[in-house]
Amino acid sequence: MTAWQNWQAAFLRQARSDWEAYQKTTELEWPNCQRLHYLQMVTEKLSKAFLVAGDTKLENLTGSHAAFVKFIRIMSGNRNLQRALGMNKSQQKVKFKALLPLAREIELLAPALAQGGPNPEYPWEDPSGKILAPADYSFPLMQRLQKTPQGIQLLKYIEIFLKRFEELFM
Amino acid sequence: MSQNHDLAGAAENLIQEHFELEPSLEKVIWINPNKTTEIRLLEINPESPPTGSVLSFYFPPYDEFPYAMKIAEITPEEWERILRHEIPLPNGWTLDNYKAYSRETVTV
Repeated sequence: MTAWQNWQAAFLRQARSDWEAYQKTTELEWPNCQRLHYLQMVTEKLSKAFLVAGDTKLENLTGSHAAFVKFIRIMSGNRNLQRALGMNKSQQKVKFKALLPLAREIELLAPALAQGGPNPEYPWEDPSGKILAPADYSFPLMQRLQKTPQGIQLLKYIEIFLKRFEELFM
Repeated sequence: MSQNHDLAGAAENLIQEHFELEPSLEKVIWINPNKTTEIRLLEINPESPPTGSVLSFYFPPYDEFPYAMKIAEITPEEWERILRHEIPLPNGWTLDNYKAYSRETVTV
């Protein structure tokens, strides 16, 4: 395998491991911050598995957490995926566009992008001056991921990308 | 028909399709079109979230599109910064040779 193939396989391996952890941290037993932390890491590493193969400089990969929204935007026009999902190109574009707000919310969970606000890893101060720990915060995003059609769809696509990566993208 | 000719046709069809599907797409830059093994595209779209870098996604060839693709989406401001060499291109990409496509220059 070439160097970039090794990097891609490693990012994919870690994304799958994070996904497994996300699935094991069940709603009843784990606070939402832990589940969302894993989910944010899944999406970042999945996106980076495509970037590392695309000549993207390694320092841009390790120094940035903003990749998932771009990934969903680029995927919205991917013909191979369109065929695999059984959609026509307009349907695919519309469906993926509808997922962008949630993808953006997941991307912004990374503490470096959260601008001192809610994130699943570190405490923050809310506008009233109250210090909050992620473990005590409800993260309404979790509800939107589990209860809205867009959230359910986004989680389903993430799972498809991870499970069928070799078939679709290698 | 030469392999380069086939690749050029495939690339231009793809670019046209992306203009059809994405109303806010302003310009597509086909980087290093002399390459015969892959198609490298910079898609310039003001709706793209700015990152100050060029994040290029790789897609392998498949039956119906037998060319590897590398696609990055950037904002118009990021494109200006690339031209001023303030934002580097991905490894191996150069501005020595590129073709620019706008909505007006492709038949949409």
